[in-house]
Amino acid sequence: MSAFTDVIERIRALVFRRREEAELAEELRFHLDMSAEHAERAGVTAQEAKRRSVIALGGVERTKEDVRDARGTRWLEDLATDVALALRTIRRAPGFAFIVIGMLAIGIGANTAIFTLIDAVVVRSLPVRDPERLVVIGDPSMVTSTGRGVGTQSMSYLLYKDIRDHQGPLESVLASGPTGRLDVLVGEGATEFEHPEGRFVSGNYFSVLGVPPFRGRVFDGSEDDAIGASPIATISHRYWTRRFQQDPSVVGSTIVVNNTRVTIVGVTPEYFTGEVVGASADLWLPVTMHDALKPNVRWLDKRNQIWLLLLGRIEPGATIAQVQADYSPFIVRMIAENATDRADDFLARNPDVPIAAGHRGFSDVRETFATPLFTIMIGVALLLCIICANVGNLLLARAIARGKEMALRLALGAGRGRLIRLLLAESLVIGAFAAVAGLLLAWWAGGALLAFASDGMPFAIDLVLNVRVLAFTIGLSVVAVALFGLVPAVRASRTPHATMLRDGSRTIDTGGAGARGRRITPARVLIGAQVALSVVLLVGAAMLSRSLRNVQEADVGLDRDHLLMLDVDIETRGYQNERLVTLAHTLRDDLARIPGVRGAAYSENGIFSGTEWSTTIALPGRDPMSAEDANTGTDNVGPGYFRDIGARLIAGRELEASDERSLARVAVVNQSFARFYFPNGEVVGQTFIVSDTVPITIVGIVADTRTRHLDAAVRRRAYFPFVPVTNPEDLRFAIRTSGEPGAVMEQVRKAVTAVDPLLVIRVLQPLPVLMRQSIRERRLVAHLASGFGILALFLASFGLYGVMSFAVKRRTSELGLRAALGAQRTDVLRLVARDALTLVAAGAVIGVPLALASTTLLRAQLQGVEPIDPVSLFVALVAMSASAAVAALLPALSAARVSPLVALRAE
Amino acid sequence: MPDDRQDLLQGTLELLVLKTLALEPMHGWGIAQRIEQMSKDTFAVTQGSLYPALQRMKRRGWIKSAWQITANNRRARYYELTAEGRKRLEVERTVWERASGAINWILDANRIPDVSGA
Repeated sequence: MSAFTDVIERIRALVFRRREEAELAEELRFHLDMSAEHAERAGVTAQEAKRRSVIALGGVERTKEDVRDARGTRWLEDLATDVALALRTIRRAPGFAFIVIGMLAIGIGANTAIFTLIDAVVVRSLPVRDPERLVVIGDPSMVTSTGRGVGTQSMSYLLYKDIRDHQGPLESVLASGPTGRLDVLVGEGATEFEHPEGRFVSGNYFSVLGVPPFRGRVFDGSEDDAIGASPIATISHRYWTRRFQQDPSVVGSTIVVNNTRVTIVGVTPEYFTGEVVGASADLWLPVTMHDALKPNVRWLDKRNQIWLLLLGRIEPGATIAQVQADYSPFIVRMIAENATDRADDFLARNPDVPIAAGHRGFSDVRETFATPLFTIMIGVALLLCIICANVGNLLLARAIARGKEMALRLALGAGRGRLIRLLLAESLVIGAFAAVAGLLLAWWAGGALLAFASDGMPFAIDLVLNVRVLAFTIGLSVVAVALFGLVPAVRASRTPHATMLRDGSRTIDTGGAGARGRRITPARVLIGAQVALSVVLLVGAAMLSRSLRNVQEADVGLDRDHLLMLDVDIETRGYQNERLVTLAHTLRDDLARIPGVRGAAYSENGIFSGTEWSTTIALPGRDPMSAEDANTGTDNVGPGYFRDIGARLIAGRELEASDERSLARVAVVNQSFARFYFPNGEVVGQTFIVSDTVPITIVGIVADTRTRHLDAAVRRRAYFPFVPVTNPEDLRFAIRTSGEPGAVMEQVRKAVTAVDPLLVIRVLQPLPVLMRQSIRERRLVAHLASGFGILALFLASFGLYGVMSFAVKRRTSELGLRAALGAQRTDVLRLVARDALTLVAAGAVIGVPLALASTTLLRAQLQGVEPIDPVSLFVALVAMSASAAVAALLPALSAARVSPLVALRAE
Repeated sequence: MPDDRQDLLQGTLELLVLKTLALEPMHGWGIAQRIEQMSKDTFAVTQGSLYPALQRMKRRGWIKSAWQITANNRRARYYELTAEGRKRLEVERTVWERASGAINWILDANRIPDVSGA
């Protein structure tokens, strides 16, 4: 094809440029020789022949130029020259280049890092076949990052089988559920347990997603045929690499999982990490193996064990609406037909089962982080604008300073276009350096950001700089380059060069950022814009920080600084009923004996554990309430619980040891509960009913405590005595210490091991740490916003300083003249300071309404801070003015020191 | 001896080069000579237009080149038509014929009776 030869010829012309040139010269020489011979043969005089060849010789160079043009590589060769020239210019002023590249790199790097994170968390589709044909049955955000279905949106195994076998517009449906902690032995004779992350998945899991094996095989669907008959596992590429160093013989070998021998049948491709974004699985086990691997928790035949996430593949041509119309009523019917008490609860609150697009898989981090990340994105984009304005300013000042050089080039015959191209090449080179540095920075910052965001919580996200991110960065650099490159280039080429070349011309009348102080120049506009944008960033940062402080310092109703939270896994060791109660009592007594511990109390849900129960209550003698009104949070707590967590009892009494054995059913309720259900009159002694008919007597009211969220309203809650009827998975202790709670962690660990060496500690953390983790996205946003705000402040001040000192330098002779005519130092100082403050004031006047308009976007993220917050405005303006004053003072002082003699002699 | 030969008509050089090379592979000088001869010395082909045109045609894949030894034992770059170039020759010829035909109509237009009635 000719387009192909075109490219080949151009490349060849470039690569073999020297040879091409030699050949061209030879070819033309041959032509000339032939021409001369021809002329001689025709009988032209020697003189005439010589004349002609001289004429022709002049033509040779032209012809060569024309042939070079015809090669179509001209612009590239010119570009190479321009770039070489630009590099030389940059080397001549390395400090300038360093600052510009550094600033741009910060802008590009920060933007890329944020964008990478947004891409990974919010945008990216699962790396599977036709992800757009996947639908989530249930709510895609109803999963924690450990992959455990929360609440009522996940399904039981029996319900999954009903849905899978239902004939509808779904081709196939897969199920996937958490394994909890796995105790794995790898290799013969191993005694040390490892705990890789696992998922129980249906046999069609890999075929529904369309994930092929990388080594060996994946599950083929036969695993679903019989319960407990497929002791096999597929492992992820990461686990294969991390644990087995990519040993191919691993496929076919066996490992021991929870005391059962399991054969590894295959490895998945590197790109596949599972369907839960934010959690990556190490190994997948057939769901039918659940009961065999976890004999203490048999879930496969229980309709009330809801633990599976469902993902369906839609038939080609079918729509999500069709799936919704077909499957939702079917699922509701199946739940109703097999109703248990929990199913009733489910139906009361979820008349429909949501069916949603599933191309991005499941994630709760997406919900948590989407808004914060976009907030940060806006902040970082503002920062980039400020940086571009600053860089533009620097280049502008430099372009003015280089006026003479430009004038000389013009005078020597360089075209205006050529000049613009040269300056653009400089910008391009700087932009290219900045893009590379920015990418490196992004790579580092992305990891740092992730570490900060996860704050010790599992948060496995694949931060790959993908093609989209790369395109984004390159686009950014190009835009930035165009922004700062073109303006000075055009301006410099427009400089009247005769004026510039004339030596000794008084700078008083050269305009620019010079004499007529309040003249509006591009430099001043850019400074004003920087100040305005900085004010916006500062106001936003101040509001977010204040909101964070409100959240962090909110009264939680607990002795937050002296509580150590312990969470032990009782399910795996099979503690149930009597044995569980005995364990709880033994552990409580042992923990309370540790020096420095004032008391320990157990409960099922604990504090800031992420776990919560809710139930539907009825009030005797009153009309049935709406589902929402009847809903209340609950916990089962041990004796002395409120005393040990430092909660305040408002009325009545604590739950006592005697309540655990008593037949009379009692409860302590929180203040929200009391106010909501019994707005007037006595609460203690009243009764309510939970799911059966036995009335429960309220024996006490406790002040509201924040036990799940720092930043949401406290829920109604009822506390029942600890009577283990439901076989909980965890037993949680709140250990109250007299000093720093972290100090007794080792003794606590020892005490637990002393009671049962195989008892697994899931969590052992001071309460403040858990609280901090619960607001990690809030902290991320507030801290980053503050960082951006400070950076913006610094950049704007830096820009102001640059412009002011440049102006002072250009006005040296004017200021000297003023001094000579009797101006006092303070007059000069005031002159310059007023100039600077005018700029800042103008920027602030634009920035404040802009800030007010944009911070309304933050409303949803603010706690205890109004959308128009005078305190934040004040703080932002004071910070801006103060740093602007410093930035203007230095040039002003040097202006005031100008001696009239030196100034007038300066030029 | 004054040179009264015309420069080539705009855009015809490539057609003529293609036609010339269709006969046999040739070097640049030869192409120029051949065109001048075939046009019975009506046209002059200057090197200033010939070599850029050859470079362009090479880039488009119509011709290819190789160094060979001439009859006089000198090294010269010979050009020859590619298959693409042969096709191109036909296209260019059609275009030319249509264009020159149209020009002839215009030039002969005064012989067409006026039918507009104005």
